[in-house]
Amino acid sequence: MRDAPILLVEDNPDDITLTLRAFAKNGVGNEIVVLTDGELLLTRLLPADGTSPLRPAIILMDIHLPKFSGLELLQRIRSDERTRYVPVIMLTTSTEERDVVASYQLGANSFVCKPVAYDEFLRTVRTLSAYWLDINKRCPSSECPP
Amino acid sequence: MMGASHRVVAMVTLVVTVAIAVLAAGLVIGDAAALGLGLPAVAVLGGAGLLIARTAARDEHALAHARAVEREARADADRLLKVIDNTSAVIYMRDVRGRYLLVNRQYEQLFGVRREDLVGLTDHDLFAKPVADAFRANDLKALAQETPTVMEEAAPQPDGTHTYITVKYPITDVDGHPYAVCGISTDITDRKRAEEQVRRLNAELEHRVRERTVELEASTRELDAFAYSVSHDLRAPLRTLNGFSEALLEDYSARLDQTGRDYLRRIGAAADRMGGLIDDLLNLSRASRAELRRRPVDLTALAEQIADELSHADPDRKVELTVQRGLACMGDSALLELVLRNLLSNAWKFTSRRATARIDVGAVRDRSADDGAVSDDGASGVFYVRDNGVGFDEAYAHKLFVPFQRLHPAIDFSGNGVGLAIVARVVARHHGRIWAEGTPGQGAAFYFTVDARPGTDGS
Repeated sequence: MRDAPILLVEDNPDDITLTLRAFAKNGVGNEIVVLTDGELLLTRLLPADGTSPLRPAIILMDIHLPKFSGLELLQRIRSDERTRYVPVIMLTTSTEERDVVASYQLGANSFVCKPVAYDEFLRTVRTLSAYWLDINKRCPSSECPP
Repeated sequence: MMGASHRVVAMVTLVVTVAIAVLAAGLVIGDAAALGLGLPAVAVLGGAGLLIARTAARDEHALAHARAVEREARADADRLLKVIDNTSAVIYMRDVRGRYLLVNRQYEQLFGVRREDLVGLTDHDLFAKPVADAFRANDLKALAQETPTVMEEAAPQPDGTHTYITVKYPITDVDGHPYAVCGISTDITDRKRAEEQVRRLNAELEHRVRERTVELEASTRELDAFAYSVSHDLRAPLRTLNGFSEALLEDYSARLDQTGRDYLRRIGAAADRMGGLIDDLLNLSRASRAELRRRPVDLTALAEQIADELSHADPDRKVELTVQRGLACMGDSALLELVLRNLLSNAWKFTSRRATARIDVGAVRDRSADDGAVSDDGASGVFYVRDNGVGFDEAYAHKLFVPFQRLHPAIDFSGNGVGLAIVARVVARHHGRIWAEGTPGQGAAFYFTVDARPGTDGS
């Protein structure tokens, strides 16, 4: 899945810069589409106006976002046939158990805490992209639409 | 009957008296003729007298019997009357139409009436209509039952309405038809008032508990929201600090001199430290907030697992670490793991300068508690984590469990002084005790107990 774009749903500009840098540092060549709020995400993923929807390799989603929380967005993504099986990785600062539990209950594929130490974050991004972009085999699109 | 027996006695007395008089007259006169005349008369009179006397004696016997029976009956009635008159219960009997047949003295005193005045009256002659109606309804209810009926009744008295617990039952004639109802009422006003008092106090208490609970829930929610915000919002800027100082070091290293790079490292390290501090604070808050789930906990397994993790993370250290077999207690596994993790990490850290570091986890008998004690297999009792590290000065022991208090300079041993506060918090929530013994340069021992009894959360 090195050709499909990575969707980063994040509103903190510092976090956006640091995350983009981490992907670049780890040699991830995928296009990274950054969306800063949930409304934008829904428009791109589930367009109502007939434009072709974005089909990302993975969605990296923060929980605290303007307009819709990451958990609300997750619920919307999972309840639509077109996006039911797209891998969603919660990438958040929260270590609260309730966020972890709610994420999995709503169908998140993974829950990753952003560490404070940047070198640690670099390792996290490396592992994460290696797994989700290379190792993980996605469901064939004939059976579960991309 | 009484009059008839009197007449018999009078007649016998008369006959005997006449006979004696005739005899006496003959004797006094001394006249044979008179005696001759007199003797047949005396004999006749005497015979008649004897006859009457014998008959009278038979009557007298029956009479005595009747008197005895009557006395007995009267004594019986008297005894029963004494019983019903000398009880604190109010006793009364009314016929099927509600007219009084009988009341006891308690009734007379209570309502200020005399029993002879009551005969023929009904409750409607004595009480206000609603009260009388209620009594009558209860009478009718009791009359419809074969067995005694228990009910609560209210009766007006000079000092207010009294509550009675009343037993009512029908009185039946020989054919089994009820002709009256008997009631026995016991004043339970005091009990009622006490009950009312208890109920009121309970209600007040419940109300207060509810209020406090609401307050407590609000403050817990606040704390929760605060912790949540700390968890998320305070860490984000730290990531920025750490991330960009790292980026600067990587991308602009050539344009900075040694001092400039050192400053950047300090910024990154400080942000990292604060991140750790926030994690510890959250753990402390979680140790207080997390719901306590009491289950059997295998402390030996927990300690061994943590020891393994410590060795893996620090493979160059040589530490003789022993964990006693069979350490177990009832408690919250996740929270007790925090206790062992903090105590073992401390022991690990403070023995780092020992050539041969030693850490022992075990249990000893609890001497201070009678029931504590228990078994040599280490189940319950006092658990300990002991090391031969740098130890501490017991003069500062009271500061050990206070958040952010440190007994060693940060330059020697890292840490922010929250670990033992977490430990103390968890132990307190298990109704346990924690204390420490130490000697500078010779090691430290931390002891804790866990209350085995399931009960309310100690927080």
